[in-house]
Amino acid sequence: MGSRLSKFLYTALVMFLLWLLLTSSFNVQELVAGAVIAILVAAFTHERFTKKGLANLHPKRVVCMFIYFFYFFWQMIKANIDVAWRVIHPKMPINPGIVHVKTKMKSDFGKLMVANSITLTPGTLTLEVLGDDMLIHWIDVKATDVETASKMIPGVFEKCLKEFME
Amino acid sequence: MIRKLFVLFLLVIVGFFLASVVVSVPFGAEKTIVGRYYLNNTIGETGGVNAVTSIVVLYRGFDTLGEVTVLFLAATGLAAILANTREKRKKHKEKPSLIMRVGTDYLFPAAIVFGSYIFLHGHLTPGGGFPGGVVIASGFLMLFLAQWHYKADELWLKVIESLAGMTYVLIGLIGLWKLGTFLGNFLGKGTPNMLLSAGIIPLIYIVIGIKVGSEMTGLLQNLRETTENE
Repeated sequence: MGSRLSKFLYTALVMFLLWLLLTSSFNVQELVAGAVIAILVAAFTHERFTKKGLANLHPKRVVCMFIYFFYFFWQMIKANIDVAWRVIHPKMPINPGIVHVKTKMKSDFGKLMVANSITLTPGTLTLEVLGDDMLIHWIDVKATDVETASKMIPGVFEKCLKEFME
Repeated sequence: MIRKLFVLFLLVIVGFFLASVVVSVPFGAEKTIVGRYYLNNTIGETGGVNAVTSIVVLYRGFDTLGEVTVLFLAATGLAAILANTREKRKKHKEKPSLIMRVGTDYLFPAAIVFGSYIFLHGHLTPGGGFPGGVVIASGFLMLFLAQWHYKADELWLKVIESLAGMTYVLIGLIGLWKLGTFLGNFLGKGTPNMLLSAGIIPLIYIVIGIKVGSEMTGLLQNLRETTENE
């Protein structure tokens, strides 16, 4: 895991980017204030915020994160259309249920990303994460055995996430 | 029957006085004289583009000092009331889920930065010290909810809060010394719409933000420790 300095720098950098996003200004006064706040916040929270530190900024990770953003967006559009179709269909073709799946992600952050991606795509909802096991509410249960379900729900995101998370 | 007549009688009286007031107000005339004054003169007189903030901190800065005191007294009162119930602590039955535990780790610094952004830009955008402080406290609330072993250092909270409160009064006294009015705006107005403008508004809002943030955090911590005993 990264050193303290690397963790601190990474946290300060991310907080400074957040500040830029909030102020949306490159005025010198804003930049100085942002830098001061970012350094202060990072000094107290870097142990909490990151485990890898600057290693998170490895070009491969950044590119994969970027790709994942679009990939996730595409999955979300597909799921939205699917659920909307179920809603307006006169027969309401739903088959809801809770399935048990296993995630391949090792790190806590990876599990968080998969769980939140599942929740944010309509039709699936993460109820609980315990170790490698996830409980997921599925609007249209297509498979009940762990292996097939794992391929169909978290597998979709893991394919892409695995690359930069682990 | 008598009751109904009595109600009717009361209604007539209320209606009569209401009507006599409404009649005396000229139709279509400017009624918000004070509000109009603030809107027209705020930028020229204070340098702050947010009229509400200028009123709260400059025109009525003394009131705001009172409000901060009220919040302080409320927090102290709560702590005093809860002080007796705090000894016996109970173990938690259920661990918070991984999603909450890990998610709050990433959101906590962001909440602090967002709160700081709100109170630093009180004179430019809607917001100010009070909402900024509450956003910071909500960051701590996330930790309280999701990470039960987490505990804010109460001594530090008290020290930070007291220092912020004293700084507020000190800024007021500097105004008294330089301009002859308590909380007088002794700094330049600056260019409107810049971060460094509106004189002492940003200073006071930084102080209020820090004070409210630490105060609310202490308050939430007190409340959490009592609910644990249930």
